[in-house]
Amino acid sequence: MFETLALNAPSWSDLRHFVPETVLVVTFLLALMADLFARGRRPAGPFALALGGCLVALAAAVSSLPAGPRSILGDLVVVDGLAGFFRVLFPLIGAITILFSWASGEIMGPRREHKGEFYALVALMAFGMCVMASAADLIMLYLSVELVSLTSYVMAGYMRTSLRSTEASLKYVIFGSVSSGVMLYGLSLLFGLTGETTFVEIRAALLAGRADNFALLVAMVFVLAGLGYKIAAVPFHFWCPDVYEGAPTPVTALFSVGPKAAGFALMIRFFYTTLLSPGGGQAAAGAAAPDGVIVGPADWPLLIAILSVVTMTYGNLVALRQTNVKRLLAYSSIAHVGYLLMGFLMLTAAGLEAILFYLLVYAIMNLGAFLFVIALNNRLGGEEISDYAGLSTRAPWVALMMMVFLLSLTGLPPTAGFIGKMYLFAEVINRHWFWLAVVGALNSVVSLFYYMKIAKAMYFTPGERAPLRLEPLHTAVLILLAAPTLALGVYWTPFKNFVDRAVAGFAGLGG
Amino acid sequence: MSGDLAFYGFAALTVLSAFYVVFSRNIVHAGFSLLFTLFGVAGLYAMLAADFLAATQVIVYIGGVLVLILFTVMMTRIPRRGAGGRGLDRFVPAGVFALLLFALLYKVITGTPWAEKAPVSADPTTARLGASFLTDFVFPFEFVSLILLAAMIGAAILIRDRRPAADDGAGGAAAPTGEEERS
Amino acid sequence: MGEHVLSWMTFAPLVGMVVIAFLPRERPTLTKVVAAAAAAVPLLLAFQVFATFDRSTAEMQFVERGSWIAPFNIEYFMGIDGLSVTMVLLTALLSFLCIIASWRIDKAVKGYFALFLLLETGMMGVFCALDFFLFYVFWEVMLLPMYFLIGIWGGPRKEYAAIKFFLYTLAGSVLMLLAMLAFYFNVRNPDTGAHTFNMLHMMDQANHSPWLQLSHVRHLIWIALFIGFAIKVPIFPFHTWLPDAHVEAPTAVSVILAGVLLKMGTYGILRISYPMLPDAALWFAYPLAILGMINIIYGALCAMAQSDMKKLVAYSSISHMGYVLLGMSAFTTQGINGAVMQMFNHGTITAMLFLCVGVIYDRAHHRDIDGFGGLGLQMPVYTSVFSLALFAALGLPGLSGFISEALVFLGAFPTYRTITIISALGIVLGAAYVLWMLQRVFLGEKNPKYDSLPDISARELATLVPIAAVVVWVGVQPSPVLDLMRVTLNNLIATVGR
Repeated sequence: MFETLALNAPSWSDLRHFVPETVLVVTFLLALMADLFARGRRPAGPFALALGGCLVALAAAVSSLPAGPRSILGDLVVVDGLAGFFRVLFPLIGAITILFSWASGEIMGPRREHKGEFYALVALMAFGMCVMASAADLIMLYLSVELVSLTSYVMAGYMRTSLRSTEASLKYVIFGSVSSGVMLYGLSLLFGLTGETTFVEIRAALLAGRADNFALLVAMVFVLAGLGYKIAAVPFHFWCPDVYEGAPTPVTALFSVGPKAAGFALMIRFFYTTLLSPGGGQAAAGAAAPDGVIVGPADWPLLIAILSVVTMTYGNLVALRQTNVKRLLAYSSIAHVGYLLMGFLMLTAAGLEAILFYLLVYAIMNLGAFLFVIALNNRLGGEEISDYAGLSTRAPWVALMMMVFLLSLTGLPPTAGFIGKMYLFAEVINRHWFWLAVVGALNSVVSLFYYMKIAKAMYFTPGERAPLRLEPLHTAVLILLAAPTLALGVYWTPFKNFVDRAVAGFAGLGG
Repeated sequence: MSGDLAFYGFAALTVLSAFYVVFSRNIVHAGFSLLFTLFGVAGLYAMLAADFLAATQVIVYIGGVLVLILFTVMMTRIPRRGAGGRGLDRFVPAGVFALLLFALLYKVITGTPWAEKAPVSADPTTARLGASFLTDFVFPFEFVSLILLAAMIGAAILIRDRRPAADDGAGGAAAPTGEEERS
Repeated sequence: MGEHVLSWMTFAPLVGMVVIAFLPRERPTLTKVVAAAAAAVPLLLAFQVFATFDRSTAEMQFVERGSWIAPFNIEYFMGIDGLSVTMVLLTALLSFLCIIASWRIDKAVKGYFALFLLLETGMMGVFCALDFFLFYVFWEVMLLPMYFLIGIWGGPRKEYAAIKFFLYTLAGSVLMLLAMLAFYFNVRNPDTGAHTFNMLHMMDQANHSPWLQLSHVRHLIWIALFIGFAIKVPIFPFHTWLPDAHVEAPTAVSVILAGVLLKMGTYGILRISYPMLPDAALWFAYPLAILGMINIIYGALCAMAQSDMKKLVAYSSISHMGYVLLGMSAFTTQGINGAVMQMFNHGTITAMLFLCVGVIYDRAHHRDIDGFGGLGLQMPVYTSVFSLALFAALGLPGLSGFISEALVFLGAFPTYRTITIISALGIVLGAAYVLWMLQRVFLGEKNPKYDSLPDISARELATLVPIAAVVVWVGVQPSPVLDLMRVTLNNLIATVGR
């Protein structure tokens, strides 16, 4: 009766390729309902459901890695290698967040309502991030960003009675709405330029010559503002330290890895699909060539390079002055975005592999560092660097594990962080962006100083001597995160192969 | 020509009332002025043959959102007049930035060959939109419902009694709240 | 153990570290015994290496090789030649003796010895690795234990010294990382055509890509590598971390720092920069000679100005490393043999000096040169050992320092006459600060405050005598050590030299 526009009209069978996402949505709804029946201080039902759902989604994602791109749900969503990678990452991050929220005093404190909904929201956010990673159309791009943002606002304000938390939430909402509005304007410019909403069609229109470089550049910068806000790149980072400090720490941990990775996923898909066309690009003598030809303004990698340098330098320099560990980690996470952006502007498959590898490693080590903060906050009631004085004698193994995370964040061998950074630098060198490589490398040296401030407090500064025992659950998850941080620094071939397969199955890069 | 006249009329209504929303120091006046802004936008939609969108704009934004805003403004004891003056030190950079942005957008809008579509007929769009939502765009349609659900949960969580539930246990012993009020 | 000698030497301390981590905290002696046992393994194997090392070839020996990370062409590739064997022997000897010298550590014993063993693994690995990536990993692994050893067990300004050391060396090594990656992408394995981290392939100029053959590129990479190594040596403008680190570090750590870690800088230049970029090495030879001269003179002058014994020894290290630079910059067989010999000799002599300073510091709790006097009568045995070390440091004939310094000057003179003559002033300055200190501490009026100082103990003597024996033995009969390195170094000079 009504004609459908898309070549592949959405159908129920599409969900066969959308299993992890479907599982996450169902999990969200079930956990929400289970909360109605939750009794007692701790909502065991929603917790178990959300954790189980994330794990099932994870298992489903691992067992069904897509081999090649496949457009589903009316061509609005594409399931490919890149999406396959992120739909493994996000349920994993969700599961870890749920696990360590369970024993966190900030979320599960004695008199806080709506405990169960928290777990449901984590599952919903994981779903939103998965969709961000597979959006193939401006509509889904915008909607998925909004879903993740909305859940983020709610979670940031979760400690309703804490002023800091409320302020964090409000700041997040205001900055978020502004940048989302700017992005929407950019998207509408793009639509006006091309008359298309699907990424692939937009590229086709641009290639057909319907592109005005100046307008395209403006549209691109506007879109970048929205995505830059999600990944917290300078100058769209203003919300980041306050929100990270004010939000409950488990939420901060989730923010520092989840939306960031999702933002990168979306940035990669959007820019690599719309602004890159197939074929080998130009390169200087001896340098590797990009795996695609730039459509539109030719200098946008340089723009990103400047953004990358400013982001990492600013993050590192400001982190030097911090005394609150959450703020310190917030600025350090800004710096890490700078490193990741280096990989983004390479426009090569190897650069993408480096980004994905780093995101995986970063998720593990950063969650580890934040879990350490949560676990100690439960016991010490604070998160200033000085609170950790003498920790090496009070809880030697915990201090040691934090040391592993710190070294990994700095990028020293033999930890996973070093390998991740090395892959990034390797591609930068291979593409002959030497100045960028030198700035990035020196930034790593700067970061050493503030990470070692935490080490210094734990090991050099004398403090209380009474032994400190953590929640068993926290210790267990810490071990679960520290072990791969170290192990991946010694042997990482399987992970590298996994990442390579994801990039090989990526629909973008002009392919 | 009457079309052009209507366009400029609606545009002027939108822009001028929007200015008033931003610059008025009386929050009630600002709220009422918003009515004209939203209405002007609805008019622009209608001129683009987006009849459903225009109607939605009127029903949802003017009939729903704006009324809620006015309710909130009237029923709370926010000072009606903005507190304190805006410092010139903030106004000037903001103004310069806004002007620059305007110049940029003006250049983009006037200097760009847009991908223009042929004028569409002014047939009612509601039926086709509804069909689209349940066929081609069923996924975003359902997706939006999730966003709304998340927003509802957020509202439920954020807009609750500020006092830490004093009545949650049968014992009712008011535990010290210091642990939560670290700020 | 037969064919995995190098792996055992490298990883036996690591095994010891893991064992120590699980020992009970209440039994410090057990920890020390385990540490000594773990460090004894490399020492015993070092004897085997010394005995069976083939002195007639420049090829790599005791080679172990296996794939590690296939997608990035990283191998586990270990082997030693005449250049590294001396360093491996030095490391094994000093590490074991330092564990013995640390016997009286009583603060966080488990942590101290665990870190010390980790440090030994890193040092051994650096000298044995033939895969650049592996080399880099070991190079960085050393930083962390060193940071903690200085920062926890060090002197009053330990935290400052520790982070300064860490920041300086990391800044150098990230540049080395970038240079390493540039090599990786421009060197191909001739057998498979794939990129490679294999150092031997990198040394073969035929495997370099056209881009890597551009001279300005080679110069830039040389500079990046050089800064990395120069910070470690340390070469003049990069040296400021050294006095802080040496002075604040506990005795045994100073010994390792001066005895082994400084050598890594010059070892890196000879192992990596020279063979991989020979033309750039020649291009930079003259500046290197000048930097060597500056190190010699500047270090000696600074040493003269010190009133703290440990600082004096620290600056003398800068001066002595200058001889190594001068020797290697000359591109003559005597010069380079003298340079590597000096690396070995400075390792032993400086170790003795730091141990001796540690002995007096343990007793008097200060190191002020002017605070003593007439100790020769009070502590005769100690005085003779310390004097031996000091004489070796000033290059007295018959002791090991003389041999290497003479070789360096002999080798450098034909190439750089003026620089060599100015550098020879360093000998005079060296004699001045050594004799001056000797006089003020051991001769003259006896300070009544120290009437009851006991002489050196048997355990302390046990740490010094083996090194003293090496110093005297090499001084009298240098050929056993020279023979180890000669063929390799002559081969290096033949491929690199003019």
